[in-house]
Amino acid sequence: MAINEVYLEIDAGERIGIVGPNGSGKTTLFNLISGVFFPEQGSIYFEGKDITRMPPYKRAPMGIGRTFQIPRPFGSATVRENVAVGAMFGTLGSQVGVREALEIADRYVELVGLQEHRNKPAGGLTPIEKKLTEVARSLAMHPKLLLMDEAMAGMHPKDIDNMVDFLKRIAEQESISIVAMVEHIMRAVVGLVQRVVVLHQGSKLVDAPTRDALKDPRVVEVYLGHPPEEHAC
Amino acid sequence: MSDRIAKYYPLIPVYSVYLALFLIGKNVPGMWQLIAMLAFYSAIGQAFNIFLGMTGYVDFGYVAFMGVGTYGMALSISHLYHVEWLGVWVVLIGFLLAAVMSTILSILVGAVALRLRGAYFAIATIGVNEGFRYLIEGARIWGGSEGIIFYGQLAQAVGRKTASILSTFWADIFVFVIAGVAAFITLFYMKGKIGYALTALREDEDAAKVMGIHVTKYKIIAFITSASLAGLIGASAWGLKVTNVFPPEVFEIHYTIECIIIVLLGGAGTLLGPVVGGLIYGLSKYWLTVIIPGFQLLIFAPIILIVIIAFPEGVIGVLARRYRGTPLGKFIA
Repeated sequence: MAINEVYLEIDAGERIGIVGPNGSGKTTLFNLISGVFFPEQGSIYFEGKDITRMPPYKRAPMGIGRTFQIPRPFGSATVRENVAVGAMFGTLGSQVGVREALEIADRYVELVGLQEHRNKPAGGLTPIEKKLTEVARSLAMHPKLLLMDEAMAGMHPKDIDNMVDFLKRIAEQESISIVAMVEHIMRAVVGLVQRVVVLHQGSKLVDAPTRDALKDPRVVEVYLGHPPEEHAC
Repeated sequence: MSDRIAKYYPLIPVYSVYLALFLIGKNVPGMWQLIAMLAFYSAIGQAFNIFLGMTGYVDFGYVAFMGVGTYGMALSISHLYHVEWLGVWVVLIGFLLAAVMSTILSILVGAVALRLRGAYFAIATIGVNEGFRYLIEGARIWGGSEGIIFYGQLAQAVGRKTASILSTFWADIFVFVIAGVAAFITLFYMKGKIGYALTALREDEDAAKVMGIHVTKYKIIAFITSASLAGLIGASAWGLKVTNVFPPEVFEIHYTIECIIIVLLGGAGTLLGPVVGGLIYGLSKYWLTVIIPGFQLLIFAPIILIVIIAFPEGVIGVLARRYRGTPLGKFIA
């Protein structure tokens, strides 16, 4: 799904939720920011620098981190090694050797609560553990901007609350901006983000503080279709 | 500090195997040729593993690097044999030329082919090997299809006796040495950032890119390393040992297939795997040839199929997983 004329400004340390139904262009937006695709038109700036056509491997060391909707840990590597990859090639990259990266990894593995599994190959984890591995790996990059694709899908509500608290705390401590893509878990939206951007068919529909955005009738319509009374069935 | 040394423990079994092979070959009469063959298979397995095992890319044109390396040795000896003061150093120049030529070829091939993925890469590399062979034959480069026969020149350069020892003994020793160097480089890569980068790109290339890994750079490093080691092995095991080179013999895709089998049998991406794979492959090929000459491939094919389906991680891959975290595990990588 393409996106069209989406203007989006993200402040340092700000947490934004990108909301929209399937095919609204959320993943495309993420791919453009992380450099998986380049846009045909328009430009992307990061900390004042034009990164529109910069390859992804250069964006990560600048501070753009990402998690995937379906977690993509490096299966044969252990949890600890996965997270160490983040530390090794993220913003600390050039200053961090393997040994330091593994130390950093241990810290983040513990933060997400996977220390028991740290020496297991990531390929054998449960989906939730894979997701946590990915979160730890992206945090170990010490990103300035973290793009989270459905980070909490499939989680138990209680785990979502824990995750939200954790992400909020760490984002504030390390002043990480978070752009979280959320398809339906409003619980996560309300708890985590300060601002909500609603995408609809590739365009920006709403961009407002969380409370206002969720009450916006257009958002209700995008999600639920027309108000129920018009569907007399 | 102990960590720094412990990092190199996995080299112990590798070097023990090579030492044992050498001692058997040296002391048991009539064994040297078999031992030399085993060392050759382990060495090419190790060299190929640095690329195939660590990146997951299959290069069907791999043998071209060995072929070019063979030419490096042949050209050095056949062109420089009359430079009297060089003497035995002509062999060293042969190795250097082999390394340089295989490196250059790998840069040329890598710069183009490594932009392709999976099957496309594999197919492109078959083309490179065949293309290179026909280029040499068709354009009559380096003697064309008549090849280069250089035993006479070697003898003239270093004397008859030295030439004989070089090709019957030292050529095999050099293979051992190259294998040892390959093992060290493999471990150095595995334990370093490059190893992490290669594992990441092997598992998920797109995710690796987004994690800040310059995947093309690391693939090319692995490719060049692997290719230059192959060039050196070619220079020694096919150049110095055989002392002649013909395009159809050194650009024979069969050897690439053997490399792949060795790496997969032993365990792709492991350190000890290709050594063990080389031993298993070399020994079974040898015995099957003795027991049922002519039918060895017929028997061997299903055995390989079964092993690869039953143990996709290879012998050492399975062992490394089983012993991870135990004291023994420190020695298996």
